[in-house]
Amino acid sequence: MQIIFFIVAAVIIFRLFYWQFLAKNSFGSDAFLIESEIPASRGEILASDGFPLVTNQESFLIYAKPHELKKNPQEIAQSLAPFLISEKFTTDSARLSDSDKEQMKDEIKNKEKELQGKLADKNLFWVQLARKITLETKKKVEEKKIPGIGFVQDERRFYPEASMAAQLLGFVAFDKVGRDTGYFGLEGFWDRKLRGKPGRLGQEQDPLGLPILVGQYRPIPAKQGSSLYLSIERGIQFMVEDKLRKAVEKYGAKDGTVIVADPKSGKILSMATIPTYDPVLRSEFDESLYKNPAVADTFEPGSIFKPIVMAAALDTKSVEPNTKCNICSGPRQVAGFEISTWNKKYHPDSTMTEVIQNSDNVGMTFVAEKLGVKNFLSYIEKFGFGRQTGIDLQEESTGFLRPDEEWKQIDLFTASFGQGIAVTPIQLIQAISVIANHGLLISPKVVEKVEDEKSEEEIKPKQEIQVVSPETALQVTEMMVNAVEKGEARFFAPKGYRIAGKTGTAQIPIAGHYDPAKTIASFIGFAPADDPKFVMLVRFSQPSSSPFGSETAAPTFFEIAKELFIHFGIPPEK
Amino acid sequence: MLPVSDFKKRQNREKKHTGGVKVKLMVMISVAATLLFFTQLVFANGLATDGQKIAKVEEEIQNLESENTILRVEIAKKSSLVSLSKKAAEDGFKKPSLVITP
Repeated sequence: MQIIFFIVAAVIIFRLFYWQFLAKNSFGSDAFLIESEIPASRGEILASDGFPLVTNQESFLIYAKPHELKKNPQEIAQSLAPFLISEKFTTDSARLSDSDKEQMKDEIKNKEKELQGKLADKNLFWVQLARKITLETKKKVEEKKIPGIGFVQDERRFYPEASMAAQLLGFVAFDKVGRDTGYFGLEGFWDRKLRGKPGRLGQEQDPLGLPILVGQYRPIPAKQGSSLYLSIERGIQFMVEDKLRKAVEKYGAKDGTVIVADPKSGKILSMATIPTYDPVLRSEFDESLYKNPAVADTFEPGSIFKPIVMAAALDTKSVEPNTKCNICSGPRQVAGFEISTWNKKYHPDSTMTEVIQNSDNVGMTFVAEKLGVKNFLSYIEKFGFGRQTGIDLQEESTGFLRPDEEWKQIDLFTASFGQGIAVTPIQLIQAISVIANHGLLISPKVVEKVEDEKSEEEIKPKQEIQVVSPETALQVTEMMVNAVEKGEARFFAPKGYRIAGKTGTAQIPIAGHYDPAKTIASFIGFAPADDPKFVMLVRFSQPSSSPFGSETAAPTFFEIAKELFIHFGIPPEK
Repeated sequence: MLPVSDFKKRQNREKKHTGGVKVKLMVMISVAATLLFFTQLVFANGLATDGQKIAKVEEEIQNLESENTILRVEIAKKSSLVSLSKKAAEDGFKKPSLVITP
């Protein structure tokens, strides 16, 4: 009995000695101390109704351990390649044309070669084959039952509304070290808040991988990314994109942009551009589409700039609404240039209200002359031109204004009708919101609230400045209402509503001159004029059906406005 | 004069007494050590199985979270305006031509 007892004890002691000293060396000194990263989920981006425009879905990293592969690398590569090519070809809903099928075959061949190279390298202990594959793809690969192939769980972005507001949202891609990083739009601007902070798990594990609780157990929890609540109204965004898509097609425009905002709070209700891209398949699209033209594009605004100049002139008392233009009977010669009206029709003794109604360029030079360069520059700066509005989108540009000392009389005159200066669509929305909001500038914003696990932060507008007096704002509003009711676009305006608006047709400057065949057609306005619920800009680049804003952008503006009246429950006045 | 015999007796008596205390103390320490040893064994045994339980619970949490993510994505997909408008068009719904505003 005693002998058996001693033998058993000796065996146990020997085994313990083996695990403690001999086996440990083969695993390395920290074999059972696992230091791993606890990934932080990226925050969601939600519309004003709380519906996710961007959320996360499960995805997987697929890897191989080449030394554990039982089959020939070529054979494995052949069976995996069809699943690891672009999702353009692999989604169930993909409808492939003949050329797509050819392209797919080429992609599969290339992928096979790439995979074979990785799998054949027996010196590698572990090799990554693809990242961010879907759960469906993972299941299909698992069905193949290939030993030596494994998966690591991950997350990737999912867009329930597909390409809706793609340029506004931006996208997530890998940075130089392979980490998820936000680029463009909200993903780019709010990247640090959205990405959260990964935690660390320092944990001793037994040979079966189970945690040893009496060992060192010191997890640092991950801080999940904050979620963004937007002012974007999903219904409006959907409707605007639909109308804009049809309009771009109808007018044969190169592209179209619409911004709808609440002038009283600076909240952006909708921001759409056509053409757009699918954020899931973004690599299939031209990179030039990634930037949001609503904040990144600069262009010469043309006549939609006139109400801004008129507001400056009225506010400085340089003119009154009924001041008569005594130079409006014909074209004007300035420094060797001839300034004429858009339709070569002239209106002698026009009042300032009529100058806006007729979109009279000569009349605007009269206003600019009364205003003077110094006042002009001071006001356009106060309206926010020449600098960023501070909207929370990554790629916002400043526009362009020439340095103050370089302004000559001809520059002032051309700028008075929106030529020779470069502005962004969002700057125009901000400036016209000043008119709609009793002269008070409120900077635009897209995110209303940032929320994390423990707290929520309300995002306030970056600035509030009284740019012009409420009286001036009212006078310009009446001029813009008159322009809609009596101007070129009056036939398209919905009946029973007081809408303040202005059309614009700007030529595109190319290599020091204006291209007569290419224009930017636009319409900007707000409604209802007496208590505005929205301010909107519609802009088309190079429409081919008609170059004029009154025949392209204005009808689109009114089409969208009709839907917005229903959305806000605004009945027509009797 | 100090009687030698008395001194020796006293010394023996004292020696006997001290030796008894030591033995008792040793026995008590041994019993305590043994008790502590077994207590540790019991707790260590419990903790070893707790590790397994924790691993199971963590796996369960991960599975549930994963299922939640899948369901959330599925709900978002089905209730998106893109899907709903498509479905409405397929089912023959049309935009109302008459709108009554409040």
